[in-house]
Amino acid sequence: MIIFADFYRDHKDRLLAYLLRMTGDYELSCDLMQESFTRCLERYGWKGLTSSLLFTVARNAVYDHGRRRQVRQRSDRKRCQGPDNPEEHHLLREEYQRVLTAMQQLEPDEKDLLSLAATSIYSYREIAQQAGISEANVKVKVHRARIKLKKLLGEGSHHG
Amino acid sequence: MDEMISMFIDNELSIDDKMFFVKRLKGDPDFFDETLALLDQDKLLRAEGLFPAPELAVKAPGVAQGRLQAFLKDFLGPLVGPVGVMAVVAVVVLGIVLTDRPGPPSGVCSSRLVVYQPEAREVAVAGAFTDWKAVSMHAAGSSGYWEIRLDIPRGEHGFVYIADGHRRFVDPTILTREQDDFGGENSILIVGQSI
Repeated sequence: MIIFADFYRDHKDRLLAYLLRMTGDYELSCDLMQESFTRCLERYGWKGLTSSLLFTVARNAVYDHGRRRQVRQRSDRKRCQGPDNPEEHHLLREEYQRVLTAMQQLEPDEKDLLSLAATSIYSYREIAQQAGISEANVKVKVHRARIKLKKLLGEGSHHG
Repeated sequence: MDEMISMFIDNELSIDDKMFFVKRLKGDPDFFDETLALLDQDKLLRAEGLFPAPELAVKAPGVAQGRLQAFLKDFLGPLVGPVGVMAVVAVVVLGIVLTDRPGPPSGVCSSRLVVYQPEAREVAVAGAFTDWKAVSMHAAGSSGYWEIRLDIPRGEHGFVYIADGHRRFVDPTILTREQDDFGGENSILIVGQSI
């Protein structure tokens, strides 16, 4: 029997990681995660929950938020400021935050495609179907996004 | 051609492509370095748990009072701080049922029902213990929580929450459910059972 709590536990970290890549904002990602689970539960019931459905709903939630933000900016948000964690994660978290910040400089379609690819849930074919582009186009754009991200991280690094 | 690196990272290569890819890695140091750098980048990009989502404690109905209070502390206590906000926003529809006072000899327990519905204008509960009449819950300030205290007889009771007069939903934190007569589901609340 699929239990909602199990579904939540199995997907929360991966979904939050996806939303962080898409937004770079921890609080916003938590909001969107709640919204995504809620939408799934309300529209499809707890028996209809699937990973694919959840991420599709989450992706739409990100874009819905983007449209709303054009009207009202959330300028007071702290970027990706999470809860206090043990010290040993500090450096890793800083690096992670640097990647998330750089992700936000990608074009929206680049960020979307790379974020989906990094979930390890979707094949290029499935991403192509979601994005409404060809599979060949996904291959090119995902790689282009990775290269661009690498360049952005290189530019932001003190080491050049 | 260089898209092969991403295809390798994303597990999109066929076995023949993988052989070609490995041979190129061996013969092309720049290609090797680029692949390693992108792998390193993706390892970080795919990191999970660095900013962990809050845990959803799963409560079996009828657990002992102490465990129920611990459950509530986990979810309601943090409301005043950012971690509490995390807990609140990450739980989809947080329903908490607390039977926190032993009932009188007649077998009735004073029970508090709490549910998180920040978008709702009104929330009601309907169940066997209300003769399936919708009983309005009270908004707990601006926290997004709705609550009500009811005297509920010991035993098992089907119930459901109703938001804005029409949207029925079960309590996702209660594992036991039943089909109703209309194709929907009800949560099963067990009152007065201890472990």
